[in-house]
Amino acid sequence: MAAFGLLSYLILNAVITPAFENLESDAAQTDLVRAQRAIQADLEQLESSAGDWAPWDDAHAYALGENPKFISINADIPTLVNLDLNLLLFYDIAGKPLWGQLVQQGEGADLARLGIFEEGSTQTARLISHSSISSEISGLIQTNMGPMLISSMPILQTGEIGPIAGTLVMARFLDESRVWRLSEQTEVDFSAVSVADVEVDYRRPLAELSNSKGDTFYHETTDSAILSYGLMRDVFGEPIIILEARTLKGLSALGKQTVNGTLIFLCLAGVIIAVVAWVLLRRVIVGPLEDLAGHIVGIRESGDLSQRLNETRSDEIGDLAGEFDKMTSEVQKARQLLLDQSFKAGKADTAAEVMHNIRNAMTPLFNGLERLAVSYKATESLHIKEAIEQLSDPDCPAGKRDKLFQYINASFDHIESVARKAGDDLAVASRQAGQVQAILADQEKHANVAPVFEVLELDSVVDEAAHVIPESEEADFHVSFEANVGEHRVRAHRVGLMQVMGNLILNAYESIQRSQSKSGEIRIVANPETVNKLAMVRLTVRDTGCGFDEAIRKKIFQRGYTSKQGHMTGLGLHWCANALAGMGGRIQAESTGIGHGAEFHILLPSAHGG
Amino acid sequence: MEASEVNTQHHEDCIRVLIADDDEHILECYREAFEETALTDHVQTVGALAAELFDPNADDEDEPKFEVVACNQGDDAISLATEAADEGHPFDVIILDVRMPPGIDGVEAGSQIRKLDSEVQIIFVTGYSDVPRDELERRVPPPMKLHYFNKPLSFIQLAKDVASMVKAH
Repeated sequence: MAAFGLLSYLILNAVITPAFENLESDAAQTDLVRAQRAIQADLEQLESSAGDWAPWDDAHAYALGENPKFISINADIPTLVNLDLNLLLFYDIAGKPLWGQLVQQGEGADLARLGIFEEGSTQTARLISHSSISSEISGLIQTNMGPMLISSMPILQTGEIGPIAGTLVMARFLDESRVWRLSEQTEVDFSAVSVADVEVDYRRPLAELSNSKGDTFYHETTDSAILSYGLMRDVFGEPIIILEARTLKGLSALGKQTVNGTLIFLCLAGVIIAVVAWVLLRRVIVGPLEDLAGHIVGIRESGDLSQRLNETRSDEIGDLAGEFDKMTSEVQKARQLLLDQSFKAGKADTAAEVMHNIRNAMTPLFNGLERLAVSYKATESLHIKEAIEQLSDPDCPAGKRDKLFQYINASFDHIESVARKAGDDLAVASRQAGQVQAILADQEKHANVAPVFEVLELDSVVDEAAHVIPESEEADFHVSFEANVGEHRVRAHRVGLMQVMGNLILNAYESIQRSQSKSGEIRIVANPETVNKLAMVRLTVRDTGCGFDEAIRKKIFQRGYTSKQGHMTGLGLHWCANALAGMGGRIQAESTGIGHGAEFHILLPSAHGG
Repeated sequence: MEASEVNTQHHEDCIRVLIADDDEHILECYREAFEETALTDHVQTVGALAAELFDPNADDEDEPKFEVVACNQGDDAISLATEAADEGHPFDVIILDVRMPPGIDGVEAGSQIRKLDSEVQIIFVTGYSDVPRDELERRVPPPMKLHYFNKPLSFIQLAKDVASMVKAH
């Protein structure tokens, strides 16, 4: 948010503020031009008055000396005041002053105070000399009493008809009151400062404007205004006044206000958008994602892969939840498959290992017994009895007798050797038998390893276990199977429980077969139950088979007991009882008697705990 | 490498046998079976006198003689077979257990030995093998020089079989 505000501020300052400042600068220049034009307009008004008086027969006659009453009739002070003139001069054709009047503050004043229009001076000559009837000199002129607007025209006959009889000069002071009046008219705050008595504040503008060749505009900026300066020159081309127009910095202030307002608006809008976005994100994305995360954590902590989100949303979150449910389902199946495979593979590996070890251990044992047999067989081929009989024969030759003795001695050596080796072989056999026993003891230890418990959906287990029901080979024999275990879930060893259920279902089927009935039913139901404050699930397997009496019921779970005649199949109820006990459950059997069917009740811990 | 040799001298009429099994008791069985085909002195005396005194027509069976080298790892078997072949006295028969942890198994050892000796008879003897017969024949060809026995077995009969298969070739 801070970065957004800073970026907005920089962009607005870089774009809007300079635009307003440029506008303000243009306005300042315009104000200065309007001030200049106001002065020019005042000068033109002066020229207009001069243009009325100069081509006038009465004036022309006066200049020629033919109308001496002209001045008294037309040029009194009130007339000059009415014409807004401060100075009126008449010269004859030779440049000799005929009459002149200076007016200050409505009263006549000494003309000499002006310090100009001295007779015979070059400056005066330049101001009053007109070479043609259309000649006209107007502009600014510096006097000792301040700058004046001046208009000098040749005196002609009415209708601007020559010859030129002399020169008419009209002038008015460009003093503070006039500047104020012009300022009021133009609504431009400006002042005119004489170059002759310029103050320190105007030296720099004067220097800038004097040095510039074409530019007549210079401005400075203060905190509140733009000061625009223009240099005005007199009729001789020399600098005479500096015009200073003051333009308040309203535009730039407006620009700053615009920037600040826009910034505030953007920040407020940003805050509102952020809040709305946060709320929407929270409701639409973050909340559901937290639910999903909580669901994942729940599965991780409980290990219960049967949990589902069942999200009904149709957006991406809903798709994600749906995909996660699918993935969980796949993982659950894969885990079940892996557990089954691990169980089977473990059994296979164990069987292979046990087979290998026992065969290895039996090999020397087998070898020892074989050698023992061979050795004793070797003694059977001895002819000791025959040798003794020949020795007892008195006719036995002495040489043969010696050989018979050698044979008997060698035979006994052989028997002694065989007996010694037989002892060794028996020791080996005994040792190897001990090794086989040790291998079996080792396996017994592994047999006590606790199985992996998981959350199981009973309908899935029962459906799978029901596959043990054989296809009936007899056309007129039928067993119906129905399981209604709802959505109950238990915490148990999957393969073990499947084997238990398969065993019970198969027992029920065989019991129906033994009952000599042509048909039968196997029903499995599940109900919740609380045992010692523990949430359990009671699973009942009910059949319409041959049932059993009380005597059988008491020993039905005993080791080795079977009610089946002549054969043993399956794992047996003894094993089932042990397996269920290992899962924290138990089993009991009920029957109202032989021929009345049976019920087996299994209690297992519920997956919901308690 | 731990190897024990029953007969250290090479004899032209001896059948040279290399045995590899990780179980020392089983190696002892091999030794007894192959050693005792050579008769002890008193047995020879009994036999000779019996033939002279009681059964002049009895055949004096010519028992085979074995030169046995034993080890308990597959790698050792390969080294011993290589060494024997390099010395110009290759083994006639090599008996290998299939499972000999912690080293390579007997099938791998047999496969490598076959690459350096195409003539030797190779016998696999095991209590349990998860290597199918067709894979054995593929890895240790040819089938006529490959034999397979399950434990437990008669070592006396094995010695006779070894003698027969060498004699047949």
